[in-house]
Amino acid sequence: MDSKQTNLLQGTLDLLILKALAAMELHGLGISRRVEQITHGTFVVKPGSLFPALHRMEEAGWLSSFWGESENNRRAKYYRLTKAGKKQLETEKEEWARVALAMANALKAT
Amino acid sequence: MALASQIGSLFRNLLRKRQVEQQLDEEVRSYVQILADEKMAEGMTAAEARRAAQAEIGGIDQVKQSVRDRRAGSGIESLWQDVRFGTRQLLRSPGFTVTALLTLALSIGANTAIFSIVNVLMLKSLPYPHPERMGTIYTRFTGRGASDERHNINGEQWELLRDNVPALISAVSGGTPGVNLEAGSAVRYVADGRVSAHYFDVLGIQPMLGRTFTEDEDRPHGPPAVILGNGLWRTLFSSDAAILGKPIRLKGEPFTVIGVLPPDAITPANADLYTALQPSRNGEGGGTNFDAFTRLRDSATWQEADAEINRAWTTREHRYEKSDDPNATVSYHSVPLQGGQAAELRPQALALMLAAGFILLIACANLAGLTLVRMMRRSAEVATRMALGASRWQIQRQFWIENLLLALAGGAAGIGMGFLALRGLLILLPKHFLPVAHVPLDGRVLTFALAVSLFTSILFGMLPALGARKVDLRSSITSRSVVGTGHRRLRQVLIAGEVALTVVLLAAAGLIVRTLVHLETLPPGFNPNGVITAKASLDDARYHDQKTFLQLLDESTAAMRKIPGVRNAAVGLSLPYERVLNDGVTIHGGPDDGHQVGTDVVYVTPWYFETLEIPLAAGRSFLPSDGPNDAPVAVINSTFARKFFPGVNPVGLRLDKGVQIVGVAADVPISSGLNPIAPLMSEETMYIPAAQVDPRLLALVHTWFQPSWIVRSASPVEGLTEQMQKALTSVAPGLPFSGFYSMRDVQATTLSKQRVETALLSTMALLALLLSAVGIFALVSSIVSQKTREIGIRIALGSSIRRAMFHVGSPGLMASLLGMLLGLALAAGVLRVMRSVLYGVDIYDAPSLIAILAVLVLVTLGATVLPTMRVGRIEPAKTLREE
Repeated sequence: MDSKQTNLLQGTLDLLILKALAAMELHGLGISRRVEQITHGTFVVKPGSLFPALHRMEEAGWLSSFWGESENNRRAKYYRLTKAGKKQLETEKEEWARVALAMANALKAT
Repeated sequence: MALASQIGSLFRNLLRKRQVEQQLDEEVRSYVQILADEKMAEGMTAAEARRAAQAEIGGIDQVKQSVRDRRAGSGIESLWQDVRFGTRQLLRSPGFTVTALLTLALSIGANTAIFSIVNVLMLKSLPYPHPERMGTIYTRFTGRGASDERHNINGEQWELLRDNVPALISAVSGGTPGVNLEAGSAVRYVADGRVSAHYFDVLGIQPMLGRTFTEDEDRPHGPPAVILGNGLWRTLFSSDAAILGKPIRLKGEPFTVIGVLPPDAITPANADLYTALQPSRNGEGGGTNFDAFTRLRDSATWQEADAEINRAWTTREHRYEKSDDPNATVSYHSVPLQGGQAAELRPQALALMLAAGFILLIACANLAGLTLVRMMRRSAEVATRMALGASRWQIQRQFWIENLLLALAGGAAGIGMGFLALRGLLILLPKHFLPVAHVPLDGRVLTFALAVSLFTSILFGMLPALGARKVDLRSSITSRSVVGTGHRRLRQVLIAGEVALTVVLLAAAGLIVRTLVHLETLPPGFNPNGVITAKASLDDARYHDQKTFLQLLDESTAAMRKIPGVRNAAVGLSLPYERVLNDGVTIHGGPDDGHQVGTDVVYVTPWYFETLEIPLAAGRSFLPSDGPNDAPVAVINSTFARKFFPGVNPVGLRLDKGVQIVGVAADVPISSGLNPIAPLMSEETMYIPAAQVDPRLLALVHTWFQPSWIVRSASPVEGLTEQMQKALTSVAPGLPFSGFYSMRDVQATTLSKQRVETALLSTMALLALLLSAVGIFALVSSIVSQKTREIGIRIALGSSIRRAMFHVGSPGLMASLLGMLLGLALAAGVLRVMRSVLYGVDIYDAPSLIAILAVLVLVTLGATVLPTMRVGRIEPAKTLREE
């Protein structure tokens, strides 16, 4: 799995977390699994980068958290997008599209 | 919104830290558990799943720490941690911390105290509304004898200034003599500020009750009126508002009370009460006896004012300014009152500030040395922290925070110390020495103290912090002593520097002490022991008449002579050491034949010379037979004789108005009113019998000077002062003495400024010496502790203890010797600025320099030998085993 892993670009992690939470509320490990799933295993988010990012985004007001029960009846901290988070997701999506297009064009150029 | 959310988080993180921490812990643990659940679902045993989950997360604490680092407020948090760590580190080495704090407290305290005086004199505004619009007038001479100074003005100048300079509100004052005030049954000797109309307008002081002087009251022979100072009104008149408009008896006459000043009113005259000066062009106004103050009117500019002053004053017919040199160009210009008043004290204040700055540098050198050693002792700790992943920046930050903590604590202690020093200083300073009522520790002083503390921490922290950059990991961890010779060199240079500054301060103090000693031990020319003196104010309607005046002197001295134990009594207009009246006199004969020259003039009763035991070089002293209607006579002093009658016996020669010289008296030191080149000196003086003073001048002379009664007794007489007062009152009921003074007191009053200067500078020099001694001591004792092992080996190999002591002590000795040489060179340059405050001693004063070097050598030896004594107690076998 490690061999497939790609280093996360600066800013990519935020976008992936926002995207992962866009569909549903998730706890930490859930977010990690969801990112793995939607990127088809390209990105694996380790707790060492996941937790600081979650806390930072919560402090920024994009996420809110609450304590809930996991599938196995474990107490876990769940995150969901706030209104600001949804707006941020849109902004970052547009930004990413712009960057991706620019990168693609740049690499195509002769 | 994002910002609000972050600020909320910041407060939560900082204030509800435990809750936040607990939730984080729970969150990470639940992550591990859910992960383990997954692994168990895949078929692992519970224990295996747990281990695998923990391995995957890679350390719960690291994850938590990485969240903490990203948290809002993590900077503040880690700063707080560093501060706590720093405090613990400082508490762990109390010896270092106490030494550093004391050093800082002393040096910052000295700086704070001196700066608060500089602040109040030069930086703080005068305590009047719109002080920037207040001025005084300087006279600028160009050409030969160029000068630019504040001058007193005469009556003609005053009238022109008052009437022809519409840009200014102007006022003059004429000194603050002692006068007699009757209050109830007692008569008090109080200070009377003689001021013109508009004086309080210039100062911007509104009376609390009543009004200030009208122009009518300020005219010669105008209605006598008095304004009471608040203190006097409260104490003598029990705050009685009904006193307004009522007469009180002042100077033997009724004066109407027209006003009372507010409690916080401060005037340059600094008097208990104020009377109208009533200036004119004659009498007092015939000479330059008035001190001018001005305030710019709202619509005017200083340029307009100066143009008007020059126009008004240059059209005068008799311009006394040009009497010495008719071709001189004389012009006038306004100078801000603050600058004009502070100018006198500025050189002293700046010199003290410089000395305080030296103290600070010396303290920094010491602290740098101490911190350097501490730093080196901690290099193992530094290396360990670096090995564990601390960045150089983190290590540096830790050191700076410790320095800053020290500096701030030291600064706080310094402000306390400065406050105490200032209290002491104000007690030491003579009354009215500073032109302000109090010296506050205001915001500017506190800011200064804070800035000095920060500056200090940077200065003493810089070297050690640079040193920390060179810590070598491998060698530091393996060997416990890492202080190389390079660092010792650096410390030696620091010590040499501080010793050099100490030499300069000690040399300056030495010179100023020698000046004071010179002034205090001037040959008195009389016998100051066994004499008691007291002043009384004769600026009193009852004693203007010549007959009453002479009867008072005659009968009161006679009554005092009858007191058992009293050998003699006399009266003189002024005493040795005091400021003297001066006048012009025409010389007949000698090289100055026909010239009018300036001379000090003292009227005295018969037995004046006998009472003070001033020996006569030739001729006779005054006798009761030198009466008002007898041939006018004078006694001149030796300086007068030497200056105007060189090589001739002046006895029998005549001065103007037929005055015959009948004797030559020995010189006594006085405070010159003629040509002051030193605080105490001998100057040409003419003594005349009190009986032969021009009766028309008596009143004027007594508005300026209060004569002294002088009593000599063979041995201390019980209750002498009471008996003197009784003797005076028996002749002049209700005439109070100002107080009783020995000749030593009179001398001390004249030299008060020098005494303060000497005390301050000497204290600072001793402080510098103390700090230097501490520096040398610290250097040598750190060498001893670093070299314990080496010394052990040396002794084991047969070195004598004395040689080992010399070996460890010599760096301190060398540094100090180098510092002394450096200091001598520095002193040769710096001390030249002191020339103007030195009397009777050259700036290159061998005796004081030798004394200073001797003291420094002794102190150096003491500070070196004391720590090396430990060498004698080193047991080679033990130290070697310990390593």
